[in-house]
Amino acid sequence: MAQTSRPDDGRPDPDALLAAARREATGRLKVFLGAAPGVGKTFAMLQGARRLKDEGVDVAVGLVETHGRAETGALLEGLEVLPRRIVDDRGHTFAEFDIDAALERKPKLIVVDELAHTNAPGCRHPKRWQDVQELIDAGIDVWTALNIQHLESLADVVSRITGVMVRETVPDRVLKEAADVVLVDITPDELIQRLLDGKVYVPETARRAVDNFFTAGNLTALRELALRRTADRVDDQMVDYLRQKAIEGPWGASERLLACVGAEEVSERVVRRAAQLATSFNAAWTAVYIEPVGHVNDAKRAAQLAKTFSLAERLGGDTTRVQGDDYPEAILRLARRENVTQIVLGQSRAGALARIFGRSLPDAILRRAGSIEVHIVPQEERVAKRPLLRRSMLQRKGVEAEIGAAFAAVALAAVVCEALSAALKLPNLSMIFLAAVLVTGMRFGTRAAIIASFLSFAAYNFFFIPPLYTFSVAQPQELFALLVFLVVSVLTGSLTGRVRDQREGVIKNAEVMRSLYDYSRKLAGASSADDVLWAAAAHLHATFGGRIVLLVADGDDLALRAAWPPDPQLDPTVMTAARWAQQKNEPAGWGTGTLPNADFQFRPLISARGPIAVCGFEPHSPVEPISGDDERALASVLDQTAIALDRALLAGEAVKAATMEENEKVRDALLASLSHDLRTPLSAIAGAASSLRTLGERMSDEERVDLLTSIEEETARLSRFVANLLDMSRIEAGGLKVGRDLVDVADVVQGAVERSRKAFPKQPVRVNLAPDLPFVHGDDKLLEQVLFNLLDNAHKYAADGGATIHARRDGDDVVLSVTDEGPGIRPADLEKVFEKFYRGGRADGRKPGTGLGLSICRGLVQAMGGTILAQSPAVRRKGTRIVIRMPAAEPAAIAAKPGS
Amino acid sequence: MTPSGACRVLVVDDEPQIQKFLHAALTAAGYDVVAAETGAQALRLAATAAPDLIVLDLGLPDRDGKDVLRDIRSFSGTPIIILSARDREAEKIAALDLGADDYVEKPFGIGELTARLRAALRHKATQALPAGPIAIEGVAMDFDKRLVTRDGEPVRLTPKEYELLAVLFRNAGRVVTHRQILSAVWGPAHTEDTQYLRVFIGQLRAKIERDPTAPRIVTTEPGVGYRAAEP
Repeated sequence: MAQTSRPDDGRPDPDALLAAARREATGRLKVFLGAAPGVGKTFAMLQGARRLKDEGVDVAVGLVETHGRAETGALLEGLEVLPRRIVDDRGHTFAEFDIDAALERKPKLIVVDELAHTNAPGCRHPKRWQDVQELIDAGIDVWTALNIQHLESLADVVSRITGVMVRETVPDRVLKEAADVVLVDITPDELIQRLLDGKVYVPETARRAVDNFFTAGNLTALRELALRRTADRVDDQMVDYLRQKAIEGPWGASERLLACVGAEEVSERVVRRAAQLATSFNAAWTAVYIEPVGHVNDAKRAAQLAKTFSLAERLGGDTTRVQGDDYPEAILRLARRENVTQIVLGQSRAGALARIFGRSLPDAILRRAGSIEVHIVPQEERVAKRPLLRRSMLQRKGVEAEIGAAFAAVALAAVVCEALSAALKLPNLSMIFLAAVLVTGMRFGTRAAIIASFLSFAAYNFFFIPPLYTFSVAQPQELFALLVFLVVSVLTGSLTGRVRDQREGVIKNAEVMRSLYDYSRKLAGASSADDVLWAAAAHLHATFGGRIVLLVADGDDLALRAAWPPDPQLDPTVMTAARWAQQKNEPAGWGTGTLPNADFQFRPLISARGPIAVCGFEPHSPVEPISGDDERALASVLDQTAIALDRALLAGEAVKAATMEENEKVRDALLASLSHDLRTPLSAIAGAASSLRTLGERMSDEERVDLLTSIEEETARLSRFVANLLDMSRIEAGGLKVGRDLVDVADVVQGAVERSRKAFPKQPVRVNLAPDLPFVHGDDKLLEQVLFNLLDNAHKYAADGGATIHARRDGDDVVLSVTDEGPGIRPADLEKVFEKFYRGGRADGRKPGTGLGLSICRGLVQAMGGTILAQSPAVRRKGTRIVIRMPAAEPAAIAAKPGS
Repeated sequence: MTPSGACRVLVVDDEPQIQKFLHAALTAAGYDVVAAETGAQALRLAATAAPDLIVLDLGLPDRDGKDVLRDIRSFSGTPIIILSARDREAEKIAALDLGADDYVEKPFGIGELTARLRAALRHKATQALPAGPIAIEGVAMDFDKRLVTRDGEPVRLTPKEYELLAVLFRNAGRVVTHRQILSAVWGPAHTEDTQYLRVFIGQLRAKIERDPTAPRIVTTEPGVGYRAAEP
């Protein structure tokens, strides 16, 4: 990292100038940074590339993954795409970025997607960012895309937030040294919507993705990381600028950090944390290792330390080793010398030393740190996620390991005895062998201890009991001592071994329990059967490895409902085994008596209602049977899954029942509304008629005429309603006959207006037709019906305000609209008004509508090949406009029409 | 009563066509008609226009007709006739239990409505008087002597049968719901036991009707209750 010393002399900082100069000579890297896949990085990058190409820049696409997204794929058209390099690795072929082709082509700008990608073995660089580096060094500008989660220093933050391990990482300095960083940002909600719309992944994968990784919480956190990182960078650029121009700036009193690392794994987290802090404070930092005087690390620790140091360097820190026995003192001395303002430490495990002194390293440093800030990175609980099957195999390998260990221990004991044989008496030497047996037992268990016992017995006899280098024994009491040694060593060895075995067993049980507990928690969160099945597949895969499939009874057959990895191909043998397991309620497939040559073994998932699903899993090794431990673990996982699945299925059925009930309610409401619509005119007719008959002579002429008119009106209303019902059922049954004649819109409008004037004399209808309206294809009777229904509607909802009919040509269409000045339609209901039995106002409300008019209109218009939609407000913030769009007839067709 | 002596009827219905013919017909039949289209209007007029009778449609645009009924009943005992639909039986019974006096099913003839109006008005007029003997179709009930006669001959009724008949005769001409009868005769704990009621009505009809298979004195209102004929 660049030194942050203050340019006191007011001259430009040479480091800053140098970095700028280096940037000039080489290509420029532009990184499109996003919070998550699917935000549109590739899209933005390709759009920009096209623009540059249009401006005449020499642009080539080195490699772009479209992930089947059509809109992205479309952008590639017209851009030069370099061929990929096909790499063959153990039967798999990979199409990788071809760096040589790119260097040879040497465009001004090259687009290389997915900076974090790991190249297939056999490529020049293991990582794509190294390819990109080479391109830049060769003077080519590179545009690339990166998700924030792949940034090295954020990898463990991201895995803690999302629970997903990030394997492909890019060093921070790549981003730091990039000439430009463009943040491609959309809101989490938008991204989730895009996912659900299938714009990022195929729908099923997308749903899983939303459930697991792309939760709103995760996305918000990732977005914050991306935004903050970009903001930090803008800050850096400002500081750089100030430095280059030698402006006295706010970077002045810089922070300096010291990360104290050891040879433990936790140190990597300390380093990452220090790098983050350093970035946010814009500070330089150093990772320091305090080496005890005269102490030499073993190979493993040395390797770990080297790894930590190299991580620190990748993250932009300096590294140093300091010799010293008093850790706190050594650290603080260095800190003061280097003007360190903050120290980052790992929380130490309470080691023997700390226990003796009653305090830990962080405590000691805190006490003596003075003005220096101290950050303590907590010990992370190591989550051991060793797959059970794989571990069992390790144990099987263990037999050889045990024999080897026993041999080694005894050989060592023999060497020690040989060295000490001059000083010690013969019987005392047996103690050394006994120690070897105990140690072997402690480390490798009972079996190893017993092997070591016999080996010790033999070695002791062979090397130390005269006659030497034979297995015979000269003196009887020595034979006796030898036998006692054997008995004692076998007994103590096996006792130690048993203790160790029990401890192993306890640990293993705890592990199984924890894994089961995790799983049951996951299941408790799963609400639908599919969620349960996917959780089961993922868990089984994580625990036992291999492919996992879950099939659920679907009618008479089994349907594949979940699998990990997704989308397996199941051959007929496998399916037969699955069906067998389901029908016979017993395991089938590999490792069983039924269809043992299938790739999978299937186990039924049994609930109180019988087998509800089958789970298929693939063995790790086709020959070895499942171990007892795995068998138990598997059985309990399957039991839990069966219970959860049963619960989810029952819940699903309950939901289905509730939906049916809901439908029933809707149907009741429809019937009520229908009966109201039929009964209201009937009541008026019956009431008026009976009133006239019994009380007619006592009424005035005017009243009698009024009642007679209302009988007529109501009869007409009833007849319209019945006609609508019939139309609707015809449309629904598909029995509607639609003529495809040429229709003169003006004629139709006139017809509808006349009908409307007869039916609603008080409603004014204004007509506004564009001259030279073309004919449309359709059925004049039906189109007139549509217009009449719309006028009827306008009358109902806009009272006597009247309606206006407009007709005009728009491109290849004729647009007809009916506008009223009623209260209008709420935006949310604009589509609903076309649903059957939907009505403005309440179900049994006052509007004498049938709820059929508009849905009939849509049915008819669509049958004629047109479209219809509602707009509101239409005029002066009120009113409704229904717009019909009909395809205009071809002029040729019109010419062919007789008489036109 | 209005100053002219005509009965004032408040008609609550939101359908203009129904308002129109009810206004014409009821005016012609000698009633003074006041119209309300909404529940709120109905409440206001029920309180201020002093109607003698209220005709109430249960489907109102602003609020449920039953709520309007409950509110009117909270301050007024004016007889209320419900206009209701056959398929809204539960609603109709609820309205009767809430204190409506009778109901007419849509669609209805004007004769049916005016008959109900008359019965309700008569009941209102007789309610205040001490209960004298009531005679329906030759069956007379003397509440003072606790005596029931058919064509002058005493009829022997059990105490429950007597009480049952008394409830119906006191409300002669009007429907009485199952729940109202059960609560009056057997007590509020038995309001759901309509089976009892069927049995007792059968026994009662056997004792008072000339032809118990075609009852004329106590008629059944299917699904709602029973009605004693008008005296």
